[in-house]
Amino acid sequence: MSYKVAVIGDADTATGFALAGVSYTYVHVDKDRTLAKLTEFMASEEIGLVLITHPIAEELGAEFRRMMRMKKLLPVVLRISDKTGYIPKVDELYELIKRTVGAEIVVRAEEG
Amino acid sequence: MNADRVLKFELSRLNVHLPERRISLKEALESTKPQVATRDGSIHRFKREELDLLAKTVPEAGWEKLYLPILIALDPKLGRGAARITGGAEAKVVGQILGKKSMGEELLIYRPEVAVVRRKLPTTTQYFFVPR
Amino acid sequence: MAAVAAAVAPTRMEFLKLKQRVSLAQRGHDLLREKMDALVIEFFEVLRNIGKARAGALKQLSLAHQAISVCSAVMGTIETRQASREAKRELEVEISTRYVMGIVVPTLEVERVERDALARGYSLHTTSSLLDEASKEFEKALGLLVKLAELEESARAIARELERTKRRVNALEYILIPRLKAALKFIEMRLDEMERENFSRLKRIKAMLEAMA
Repeated sequence: MSYKVAVIGDADTATGFALAGVSYTYVHVDKDRTLAKLTEFMASEEIGLVLITHPIAEELGAEFRRMMRMKKLLPVVLRISDKTGYIPKVDELYELIKRTVGAEIVVRAEEG
Repeated sequence: MNADRVLKFELSRLNVHLPERRISLKEALESTKPQVATRDGSIHRFKREELDLLAKTVPEAGWEKLYLPILIALDPKLGRGAARITGGAEAKVVGQILGKKSMGEELLIYRPEVAVVRRKLPTTTQYFFVPR
Repeated sequence: MAAVAAAVAPTRMEFLKLKQRVSLAQRGHDLLREKMDALVIEFFEVLRNIGKARAGALKQLSLAHQAISVCSAVMGTIETRQASREAKRELEVEISTRYVMGIVVPTLEVERVERDALARGYSLHTTSSLLDEASKEFEKALGLLVKLAELEESARAIARELERTKRRVNALEYILIPRLKAALKFIEMRLDEMERENFSRLKRIKAMLEAMA
């Protein structure tokens, strides 16, 4: 099935992806309004992929993490870097690996 | 007993990703959409680049004897960390890909080799859990 | 645990039924552990691909942001933003599901992200070729990000199944099978005991009969 894409980021990110053809863009101003917009995007039947920048996702904090835990299969949500290239120190996926497979296997894999 | 029911359910799910019928490499190469129907009702597609790799490794005369997907059999009786490739053609091609010799109708491979095979042939190999 | 065992009548029939259950549980445990091991292999392979995909996407996004900075500097920020509003923004992603070892995993495909300057929708007269450059870089980034999204979702789906399978394996190994084996032992002991009592009672009867004769 075909779906549209949405982006939540700073003005440059939003402009750039709009030029690339993304249907829905939202420029982040404050936490509450962005959370509301994100909720709207998550509820939309049309949107299959939501891109959100790392700094904003971090600012949205616990509420964002809760939404990600509780969400359905769609839309897929991907955190991306913005123009600062900032990547959070705590990698959610890495934490998932440790929890799933155990820290010692992670260490072994890194060495191997 | 509830635990038994859960167990039986999990075991019945083990091989549900496998195809009803396998197809030969020859058939796959000749098809515009090389794929098989799986037991859980979906379609499993073979990637063209893998078929090409297999075609390069196996002489043309052997294309109709190699059946896809190649099954990586996981049998508890073999012990943890060991897997078996059955079928002369299948064993031979996996052996060639791993750079080891296969004798006869089956080939035993070990965990790191399983990872290599899965990496090189992700859609043309599948795990098979041997029930007993 | 003794209570569980006592609830089952210590008969030969129960003993055989329990033995079968232990056998099934043991076989189930071993098979599910093989599944767990296979899932770990698949999981690490996806993670490896994610590492590569993330690095590629980061690099491309960086290029894209540079390109749009240059564009804004030359064309003007307002003009650049205006052009983005004029652009055709109908991009669609094909999302379907795939089965990997019985796990539902989403696939994301985007047909052709990269477009001609003409196809984008903004006026070519009033915009600079730098805008075309920036757009192209973002289109490339989008293509990479769609692939990355698919990989990350796959990793999560495999992780979930891996956790479930691990829980089953542990429940079998540390709870169910030990309980069943203990119950089995209890019944075996009771059956032996009953047989011994029976045997000594027969001996006494025999002795009595012999004494009477």
